[in-house]
Amino acid sequence: MTETPNPPKIDDPDHDLIVAIQEGSPSLFTDLVQRYGKPLYNFGLKMCGKSDTAEDLVQETFLNAFRYLGSFRRETKFKNWLYRIATSVCIKNRRKSKFAPERELSLEEFLPADEAAVEREVPSWAALPIDQVLDEELKQHLQASILALPEKYRAVLLLRDIEGFSTEEAGQMLNLTPANVKVRLHRARLFLKDRLKGYFENE
Amino acid sequence: MSKAAHNHKQCLDLFARMSEYLDGELDESLCRSMEGHLSGCPACRVCLAELRRTVQLHHASGNVVAIPESMAARLKELCEQFNKQ
Ligand SMILES: [Zn+2]
Repeated sequence: MTETPNPPKIDDPDHDLIVAIQEGSPSLFTDLVQRYGKPLYNFGLKMCGKSDTAEDLVQETFLNAFRYLGSFRRETKFKNWLYRIATSVCIKNRRKSKFAPERELSLEEFLPADEAAVEREVPSWAALPIDQVLDEELKQHLQASILALPEKYRAVLLLRDIEGFSTEEAGQMLNLTPANVKVRLHRARLFLKDRLKGYFENE
Repeated sequence: MSKAAHNHKQCLDLFARMSEYLDGELDESLCRSMEGHLSGCPACRVCLAELRRTVQLHHASGNVVAIPESMAARLKELCEQFNKQ
Protein backbone atom coordinates (compact mmCIF):
# COMPACT_ATOMS: atom_id res chain seq x y z
CA MET A 1 0.00 0.00 0.00
CA THR A 2 1.24 3.45 -0.81
CA GLU A 3 1.70 6.11 1.81
CA THR A 4 -1.09 8.63 2.04
CA PRO A 5 0.09 11.86 0.47
CA ASN A 6 1.36 14.48 2.88
CA PRO A 7 -1.22 17.07 3.91
CA PRO A 8 -0.69 20.51 2.35
CA LYS A 9 2.32 22.13 3.96
CA ILE A 10 1.49 24.70 6.58
CA ASP A 11 4.06 27.40 7.00
CA ASP A 12 4.51 27.06 10.75
CA PRO A 13 7.48 28.67 12.54
CA ASP A 14 7.12 25.98 15.24
CA HIS A 15 7.16 23.07 12.80
CA ASP A 16 10.66 21.72 13.49
CA LEU A 17 10.27 22.02 17.23
CA ILE A 18 6.92 20.21 17.20
CA VAL A 19 8.32 17.39 15.09
CA ALA A 20 11.27 17.02 17.48
CA ILE A 21 8.96 16.87 20.51
CA GLN A 22 6.62 14.39 18.84
CA GLU A 23 9.54 12.21 17.75
CA GLY A 24 10.90 11.70 21.23
CA SER A 25 12.14 14.86 22.91
CA PRO A 26 9.23 15.90 25.13
CA SER A 27 11.47 18.09 27.28
CA LEU A 28 11.77 20.49 24.32
CA PHE A 29 8.20 21.45 25.14
CA THR A 30 9.76 23.94 27.55
CA ASP A 31 10.79 26.00 24.49
CA LEU A 32 7.10 26.35 23.63
CA VAL A 33 6.38 27.51 27.17
CA GLN A 34 9.08 30.17 26.80
CA ARG A 35 7.71 31.22 23.44
CA TYR A 36 4.02 31.38 24.25
CA GLY A 37 3.86 32.06 27.98
CA LYS A 38 3.72 35.81 27.64
CA PRO A 39 1.34 36.05 24.66
CA LEU A 40 -1.01 33.52 26.24
CA TYR A 41 -0.97 35.37 29.54
CA ASN A 42 -1.88 38.58 27.74
CA PHE A 43 -4.66 36.83 25.86
CA GLY A 44 -5.96 35.36 29.12
CA LEU A 45 -5.87 38.73 30.82
CA LYS A 46 -7.97 40.31 28.09
CA MET A 47 -10.30 37.35 28.03
CA CYS A 48 -10.85 37.02 31.81
CA GLY A 49 -9.84 40.43 33.16
CA LYS A 50 -8.12 39.03 36.23
CA SER A 51 -4.47 38.20 36.64
CA ASP A 52 -4.94 35.05 38.72
CA THR A 53 -7.55 33.67 36.31
CA ALA A 54 -5.21 34.41 33.41
CA GLU A 55 -2.42 32.52 35.18
CA ASP A 56 -4.68 29.51 35.71
CA LEU A 57 -5.64 29.67 32.06
CA VAL A 58 -2.01 29.66 30.90
CA GLN A 59 -1.14 26.74 33.15
CA GLU A 60 -4.14 24.65 32.13
CA THR A 61 -3.56 25.41 28.46
CA PHE A 62 0.06 24.25 28.56
CA LEU A 63 -0.80 21.13 30.53
CA ASN A 64 -3.48 20.22 28.00
CA ALA A 65 -1.23 21.02 25.06
CA PHE A 66 1.53 18.84 26.51
CA ARG A 67 -0.86 16.00 27.15
CA TYR A 68 -2.42 16.07 23.68
CA LEU A 69 0.51 17.12 21.51
CA GLY A 70 0.86 13.53 20.32
CA SER A 71 -2.49 13.81 18.58
CA PHE A 72 -1.74 17.19 17.00
CA ARG A 73 -1.70 16.47 13.28
CA ARG A 74 0.01 19.70 12.18
CA GLU A 75 -2.94 20.58 9.94
CA THR A 76 -2.95 24.07 11.44
CA LYS A 77 -0.17 26.11 12.95
CA PHE A 78 0.75 25.07 16.46
CA LYS A 79 -0.09 28.56 17.67
CA ASN A 80 -3.64 28.22 16.34
CA TRP A 81 -4.03 24.85 18.03
CA LEU A 82 -2.73 26.32 21.29
CA TYR A 83 -5.13 29.25 21.17
CA ARG A 84 -7.96 26.89 20.39
CA ILE A 85 -7.16 25.05 23.62
CA ALA A 86 -6.86 28.32 25.55
CA THR A 87 -10.21 29.57 24.27
CA SER A 88 -12.02 26.37 25.15
CA VAL A 89 -10.43 26.23 28.62
CA CYS A 90 -11.54 29.79 29.19
CA ILE A 91 -15.12 29.21 28.07
CA LYS A 92 -15.37 25.97 30.03
CA ASN A 93 -14.13 27.60 33.24
CA ARG A 94 -16.46 30.49 32.76
CA ARG A 95 -19.47 28.18 32.48
CA LYS A 96 -18.59 26.73 35.86
CA SER A 97 -18.70 30.15 37.47
CA LYS A 98 -21.96 31.44 38.85
CA PHE A 99 -21.77 34.87 37.35
CA ALA A 100 -22.07 34.52 33.63
CA PRO A 101 -24.37 37.17 32.25
CA GLU A 102 -24.27 35.92 28.69
CA ARG A 103 -26.53 37.83 26.42
CA GLU A 104 -27.04 38.08 22.71
CA LEU A 105 -26.18 41.28 20.89
CA SER A 106 -28.62 42.10 18.11
CA LEU A 107 -27.90 44.29 15.15
CA GLU A 108 -31.01 46.37 15.86
CA GLU A 109 -29.75 47.67 19.18
CA PHE A 110 -26.91 49.43 17.40
CA LEU A 111 -29.00 51.24 14.83
CA PRO A 112 -29.37 54.98 15.36
CA ALA A 113 -32.61 55.56 17.26
CA ASP A 114 -34.14 57.98 14.76
CA GLU A 115 -33.32 60.20 11.81
CA ALA A 116 -32.54 63.15 14.08
CA ALA A 117 -29.88 61.13 15.92
CA VAL A 118 -28.00 60.38 12.72
CA GLU A 119 -24.70 62.22 12.59
CA ARG A 120 -23.65 64.19 9.57
CA GLU A 121 -20.01 64.75 10.35
CA VAL A 122 -17.23 62.48 11.45
CA PRO A 123 -16.45 63.31 15.12
CA SER A 124 -12.92 64.37 16.00
CA TRP A 125 -12.09 61.09 17.78
CA ALA A 126 -12.60 59.31 14.49
CA ALA A 127 -10.94 61.96 12.33
CA LEU A 128 -7.78 63.08 14.14
CA PRO A 129 -4.52 61.12 13.84
CA ILE A 130 -4.69 58.15 16.14
CA ASP A 131 -1.85 59.23 18.46
CA GLN A 132 -3.70 62.45 19.21
CA VAL A 133 -6.68 60.42 20.36
CA LEU A 134 -5.24 57.44 22.18
CA ASP A 135 -4.01 58.20 25.70
CA GLU A 136 -3.69 56.12 28.87
CA GLU A 137 -7.18 56.91 30.07
CA LEU A 138 -8.67 55.81 26.76
CA LYS A 139 -6.63 52.61 26.86
CA GLN A 140 -8.19 51.79 30.23
CA HIS A 141 -11.61 52.49 28.79
CA LEU A 142 -10.97 50.26 25.76
CA GLN A 143 -9.82 47.41 27.99
CA ALA A 144 -12.91 47.73 30.19
CA SER A 145 -15.15 47.78 27.11
CA ILE A 146 -13.75 44.47 25.89
CA LEU A 147 -14.50 42.93 29.27
CA ALA A 148 -18.05 44.29 29.10
CA LEU A 149 -18.66 42.29 25.92
CA PRO A 150 -20.58 39.04 26.36
CA GLU A 151 -18.00 36.28 26.28
CA LYS A 152 -18.81 34.68 22.94
CA TYR A 153 -18.40 38.05 21.25
CA ARG A 154 -15.28 38.85 23.28
CA ALA A 155 -13.57 35.66 22.15
CA VAL A 156 -14.19 36.47 18.48
CA LEU A 157 -13.11 40.08 18.87
CA LEU A 158 -9.86 39.18 20.63
CA LEU A 159 -8.92 36.46 18.16
CA ARG A 160 -9.68 38.63 15.12
CA ASP A 161 -8.86 42.22 16.08
CA ILE A 162 -6.26 41.82 18.82
CA GLU A 163 -4.50 38.55 18.00
CA GLY A 164 -4.88 39.01 14.26
CA PHE A 165 -6.19 35.58 13.30
CA SER A 166 -8.19 35.35 10.07
CA THR A 167 -11.93 34.73 9.91
CA GLU A 168 -11.27 31.12 8.90
CA GLU A 169 -8.76 30.58 11.70
CA ALA A 170 -11.03 32.07 14.37
CA GLY A 171 -13.83 29.86 13.08
CA GLN A 172 -11.68 26.75 13.46
CA MET A 173 -10.74 27.72 17.01
CA LEU A 174 -14.29 28.38 18.11
CA ASN A 175 -16.08 25.74 16.01
CA LEU A 176 -17.96 28.44 14.15
CA THR A 177 -18.65 28.92 10.46
CA PRO A 178 -16.90 31.90 8.86
CA ALA A 179 -20.33 33.52 8.47
CA ASN A 180 -20.93 33.23 12.21
CA VAL A 181 -17.51 34.65 13.00
CA LYS A 182 -18.33 37.66 10.83
CA VAL A 183 -21.70 38.22 12.46
CA ARG A 184 -20.26 38.08 15.97
CA LEU A 185 -17.27 40.23 15.09
CA HIS A 186 -19.45 42.93 13.57
CA ARG A 187 -21.76 43.07 16.59
CA ALA A 188 -18.80 43.14 18.95
CA ARG A 189 -17.27 46.06 17.04
CA LEU A 190 -20.60 47.92 17.03
CA PHE A 191 -20.86 47.40 20.79
CA LEU A 192 -17.35 48.82 21.25
CA LYS A 193 -18.10 51.69 18.89
CA ASP A 194 -21.12 52.69 20.95
CA ARG A 195 -19.04 52.55 24.14
CA LEU A 196 -16.43 54.78 22.52
CA LYS A 197 -19.04 57.27 21.41
CA GLY A 198 -20.40 57.34 24.93
CA TYR A 199 -16.91 57.94 26.28
CA PHE A 200 -16.24 60.90 24.00
CA GLU A 201 -19.70 62.40 24.18
CA ASN A 202 -19.71 62.46 27.98
CA GLU A 203 -16.25 63.95 28.29
CA MET B 1 -28.42 64.82 0.04
CA SER B 2 -32.08 64.92 -0.75
CA LYS B 3 -34.35 62.68 1.24
CA ALA B 4 -35.82 61.16 -1.90
CA ALA B 5 -32.40 60.13 -3.18
CA HIS B 6 -31.67 58.29 0.02
CA ASN B 7 -32.66 54.68 0.24
CA HIS B 8 -32.97 53.90 3.95
CA LYS B 9 -33.45 50.19 3.35
CA GLN B 10 -30.07 50.12 1.67
CA CYS B 11 -28.53 51.76 4.77
CA LEU B 12 -29.74 48.91 6.93
CA ASP B 13 -28.52 46.24 4.54
CA LEU B 14 -25.11 47.82 4.29
CA PHE B 15 -24.95 48.55 8.01
CA ALA B 16 -24.99 44.79 8.57
CA ARG B 17 -21.95 44.30 6.33
CA MET B 18 -19.70 47.21 7.22
CA SER B 19 -17.16 45.06 9.04
CA GLU B 20 -16.84 42.79 6.05
CA TYR B 21 -16.29 45.87 3.92
CA LEU B 22 -13.55 47.10 6.29
CA ASP B 23 -11.92 43.68 6.29
CA GLY B 24 -11.94 43.42 2.50
CA GLU B 25 -14.23 40.40 2.69
CA LEU B 26 -17.04 41.60 0.41
CA ASP B 27 -17.17 40.39 -3.14
CA GLU B 28 -16.64 42.93 -5.86
CA SER B 29 -20.26 43.70 -6.66
CA LEU B 30 -21.23 44.20 -2.99
CA CYS B 31 -18.15 46.30 -2.52
CA ARG B 32 -19.19 48.52 -5.42
CA SER B 33 -22.72 48.92 -4.12
CA MET B 34 -21.31 49.77 -0.68
CA GLU B 35 -19.11 52.47 -2.20
CA GLY B 36 -21.92 53.78 -4.36
CA HIS B 37 -24.15 54.10 -1.32
CA LEU B 38 -21.43 55.67 0.83
CA SER B 39 -20.76 58.39 -1.70
CA GLY B 40 -24.36 59.59 -1.36
CA CYS B 41 -25.05 58.89 2.32
CA PRO B 42 -23.25 60.99 4.97
CA ALA B 43 -24.84 59.01 7.81
CA CYS B 44 -23.33 55.76 6.61
CA ARG B 45 -19.99 57.48 5.97
CA VAL B 46 -19.88 58.69 9.57
CA CYS B 47 -20.86 55.28 10.84
CA LEU B 48 -18.16 53.61 8.79
CA ALA B 49 -15.51 56.11 9.91
CA GLU B 50 -16.41 55.49 13.55
CA LEU B 51 -16.35 51.75 13.10
CA ARG B 52 -12.99 51.86 11.35
CA ARG B 53 -11.57 54.05 14.12
CA THR B 54 -12.92 51.71 16.79
CA VAL B 55 -11.04 48.81 15.22
CA GLN B 56 -7.88 50.92 14.85
CA LEU B 57 -7.98 52.08 18.46
CA HIS B 58 -8.42 48.58 19.82
CA HIS B 59 -5.66 47.37 17.59
CA ALA B 60 -3.30 50.16 18.68
CA SER B 61 -4.06 49.75 22.37
CA GLY B 62 -3.50 46.01 22.45
CA ASN B 63 -0.13 46.41 24.14
CA VAL B 64 1.54 43.41 25.64
CA VAL B 65 2.28 43.48 29.36
CA ALA B 66 5.14 41.66 31.03
CA ILE B 67 4.17 38.57 32.95
CA PRO B 68 4.04 39.04 36.73
CA GLU B 69 6.48 37.22 38.99
CA SER B 70 3.85 34.76 40.16
CA MET B 71 3.24 33.73 36.53
CA ALA B 72 6.96 33.44 35.84
CA ALA B 73 7.26 31.13 38.86
CA ARG B 74 4.41 28.94 37.64
CA LEU B 75 5.92 28.71 34.14
CA LYS B 76 9.26 27.72 35.67
CA GLU B 77 7.53 25.00 37.66
CA LEU B 78 5.77 23.77 34.53
CA CYS B 79 9.06 23.61 32.66
CA GLU B 80 10.66 21.58 35.45
CA GLN B 81 7.74 19.20 35.24
CA PHE B 82 8.10 18.85 31.43
CA ASN B 83 11.84 18.45 31.74
CA LYS B 84 11.36 15.32 33.82
CA GLN B 85 9.35 13.65 31.04
ZN1 LIG C 1 -26.79 55.07 4.30
